[in-house]
Amino acid sequence: MKAFEYATALSTDSARQLAADSGAYLAGGNDLLGLLKDYLIPGPNILVNIKSLPGLNQIERGEKNWIIGALVTIAEIEHDAGIAKVFPGLHDAAAEIASPQIRNVATVGGNLAQHSRCWYFRQRDVVCLKKGGDLCYAREGDNRDHCLFSGNDCISPVVSSLATSLAALEATAVVLHEGKETRLNMAEFYEKAWTEPNAHNSLAPGDLILRVEIPTGRTASAYLQVSDKHTFDWALVSCAAAANLIGGKLSQPRVALGSISPVPHQVEAANAFLDGKTLDSDTASQAADLILKGARPLAQNAYKLPMAHALIRRTLLKLKG
Amino acid sequence: MPSWPAETKYISQPTLRVDAPPKVTGRARYSSDTQAEGWLYGMILRSKWPAAKILSVNLAPARQIPGIKAAVVVREGEFTVRFYGEEIAAVAGTTKQACLDALRAIEVKAEPRNDFAVNENEARKDDAPQVWQGKPNVAPGRVRERGNVDHAFGECAAVIEGFYTTPVQIHNPMETHGNTVSWTDDGVTAWASTQGITSVRDGLAGALQLDQSKVRVITDFMGGGFGAKFGAGVEGMLAARLSREAKAPVRLMLTRFDEALAVGNRPSSFQRIKMGALADGTLHAFEAENYGTAGIGAGGDSGGGGGGADIPMPYLYPVPNSRVKQSAVAVNAGSSRAFRAPGNPPASFGMESAMDDLAVKLGMDPLAFRLKNDSNEVRRQEYKIGAEKFGWKEKYLTPGSSPGPVKTGIGCAGAAWPAGGPSRTTQGEAQINPDGSIEFRLGVQDIGTGTKTVIAVVAAEMLGLKPEQITVKVGDTNYPPGPGSGGSTTCASISPTVYDICQRGLQQLQNQTGIADARGENWFAACKKLGVNPLAVHGTWIEGLSNRPAYGVQFAEVAVDTETGLVTVKKVVAVHDCGLIIDTLTLESQINGGVIMGMGYALYEERVMDDLSGVVLNPNFETYKLPGIADVPEIEIVLLNMPERGVIGIGEPATVPTAAAIGNAVANAIGVRVGSLPITPAKVLAALGKVPPVAQT
Repeated sequence: MKAFEYATALSTDSARQLAADSGAYLAGGNDLLGLLKDYLIPGPNILVNIKSLPGLNQIERGEKNWIIGALVTIAEIEHDAGIAKVFPGLHDAAAEIASPQIRNVATVGGNLAQHSRCWYFRQRDVVCLKKGGDLCYAREGDNRDHCLFSGNDCISPVVSSLATSLAALEATAVVLHEGKETRLNMAEFYEKAWTEPNAHNSLAPGDLILRVEIPTGRTASAYLQVSDKHTFDWALVSCAAAANLIGGKLSQPRVALGSISPVPHQVEAANAFLDGKTLDSDTASQAADLILKGARPLAQNAYKLPMAHALIRRTLLKLKG
Repeated sequence: MPSWPAETKYISQPTLRVDAPPKVTGRARYSSDTQAEGWLYGMILRSKWPAAKILSVNLAPARQIPGIKAAVVVREGEFTVRFYGEEIAAVAGTTKQACLDALRAIEVKAEPRNDFAVNENEARKDDAPQVWQGKPNVAPGRVRERGNVDHAFGECAAVIEGFYTTPVQIHNPMETHGNTVSWTDDGVTAWASTQGITSVRDGLAGALQLDQSKVRVITDFMGGGFGAKFGAGVEGMLAARLSREAKAPVRLMLTRFDEALAVGNRPSSFQRIKMGALADGTLHAFEAENYGTAGIGAGGDSGGGGGGADIPMPYLYPVPNSRVKQSAVAVNAGSSRAFRAPGNPPASFGMESAMDDLAVKLGMDPLAFRLKNDSNEVRRQEYKIGAEKFGWKEKYLTPGSSPGPVKTGIGCAGAAWPAGGPSRTTQGEAQINPDGSIEFRLGVQDIGTGTKTVIAVVAAEMLGLKPEQITVKVGDTNYPPGPGSGGSTTCASISPTVYDICQRGLQQLQNQTGIADARGENWFAACKKLGVNPLAVHGTWIEGLSNRPAYGVQFAEVAVDTETGLVTVKKVVAVHDCGLIIDTLTLESQINGGVIMGMGYALYEERVMDDLSGVVLNPNFETYKLPGIADVPEIEIVLLNMPERGVIGIGEPATVPTAAAIGNAVANAIGVRVGSLPITPAKVLAALGKVPPVAQT
């Protein structure tokens, strides 16, 4: 990797100052070190270790909101009995991420901010659109893992399982942006990736994720994914749902999908359709139709349509417990 | 005629591998752990182009990097590279980072060619760019014909046609390829991760123009090879040249990235099979056309032979009328090498898939159909034993008739490994000390299969000692020459050799001490009578104690989620023979490993090349998928011990039928054939007709 400076920040303000515009924050480092070792991103000239930042590794259990610090590890989410009870969808998403070793060090902030896993982007000798080249190789090439939806020529999907789950739970990421705390829901957190091929989320250089706030307003949540393998594999499609179920009827339902769009794929029309409906297989199937409407499959990823359809149905029905 | 003892204490029993403690505690030093005095890191600069003319390579900027002690080019002057990852230059330095920086500093002037072909179906086209200029990519087909095929199809009651394909598979041993090489005025010492210390020694001596006696190769512990580690390789030659220049040992181990590019693979196969049977189920007519790619060519630095794209067809079954046409397709990708049972797993997948498809068409039970057509007595016995253990009769349902969205299915397939006999030139020695300790030295290497343990078990049995009382030394060309560890030959080579050493040792002990039978409780007394000088005994492989071939059958049960396409292997029953079993524990490990590797071939593994850029898209374990422990099913192993046949190797047959059995189980579950490995969720959904057609943009 290229040479860089290294500093440990003890406050968010100093972290921000140390990173300036061309630094990178180091927490779990799983994604960052891979990017550096393969020379996939320009810079950074400084790595700012944020692991010692106070207060960011806490889970606060409020009545209306749970707050999960950006430095909380995936393993902590996976093993937190309260989360498993209150947000089972989040627990299940965390449990599917990578391997136990990675979950032990990977953090919530890092998971949300992680870069593209597109194999053209990750190939050290290919300069693709996302890396500033002229061409999305995946469009004409091997796009089995790529998007069904995209607002730009890059078809690299968001792969954060937590983002899928948090989108359904209507969570908010709180980000330190230009000295102020900025609140972004999951749509906003990724929306720049929808339109800009170089972006994989909406964060600006130096932005620091502080925490995630999850409203407790939905009592049921679920998460499912399908991968080629049974563990330690990226989702081909992931799906999360959250709602209240009162007398078998859905209220405040939300569904989100991962790995099929540069952003967590959410369709408000489907959420509106489900609101007030009795949760059954037919309803779930009709919602799936709405959610996948307008998909533009490529030569090798059309299998994601029936797979996503099945996952939406199963995830919704799983809300029944 | 020598014969194995009828009653045994250790042979055919479970013995823990003798080097288990150092392996599990980390005390074992693998080739990649070698730290020779003053050693340097070595690294290779590889072509980032799939095809290019290299005009010049300027190493001067690399030499300026602090810590860099040597830099060499693969070839002087202009040269051509023909695949992404082909070696161009190498550097040696005091740190990894210095080497990485140096590789990036090397200035390569090249004329990249934009016309290249990295996939078989592109390279086969008439107007395809030529991998070797002036030579067509498709070698002239070889046709083998017997009987009257065209007439025979007319006599068949049922005929199927299928297209069965298998991908390029990467060996990916846990320890990557590489060596530490020290080249001084006294000669060369190489600590090699190799399956063949002797072939590495001779390869290095030839390439470096040294006497073979000036080259010593050491392999104390090594982490697998699967057929791709018989030569020193380009990386070994480069390490030697770097060592010469730097006047220091150079450790040049490849990275996982490198493993996907340039050190071998299993060729792909694209098998179009037409097959027919008479009304009673007797196979009658077979016609096949197969092509596959061995990369730019087969057998690059294989040393172990094999690695070509041809496969044995119609494999296990003697069809009276058959016509087989095969051709290899050159592509701009790394050469194939021998890979665990070369040719057999793809042949098994194609033929055994066709067998099940034809059984279905005939309305026959696939197992009954096999018993009808497989005349091999060992396999017939194995099918019967396995079917009983597996519960074939109770579990077999008409294809696709399992209820619900998650459907279960079962399948079976047979194996053969016609090679696997002994290497008859194997030699070894033992030193028997007056204190009763004994050390065996064989110039073979333990590639992780338990070779040291086999030597200890055979010696303990023959001498009436315990395996832990036997000291075993292997992996050094200073010892008497042993075989390369490939083709399932090692066990059949060394077991009779150790037998011979023991017999000679006992004879000499008798001659020198007068003790008629120095075995067991007499051992120490006899040794003591030797006086001050130890007894050195030399032995060779002898006739009558080993054999070939091995067979084997496997049964698989799967669950297929017809809505998501996910395949879960629930159970595999593996019934195998290998003549006289030496150690049941290491044997079972071999079979477990073979089944898991076959399962990876069935469901996960595939090298993916990009047509446009010519690169390998999945040179890592993130996207080149291998089975994890959560994917691995219950594996039940049934062993046939056949002492009367002598010792036979097992490494290859254990992996041959797994993918075919799993593929057949998937077809049985969902009622349609997924004819292409790996059987991914995407392919299952496509086979089920659930994937909508995509409008071409």
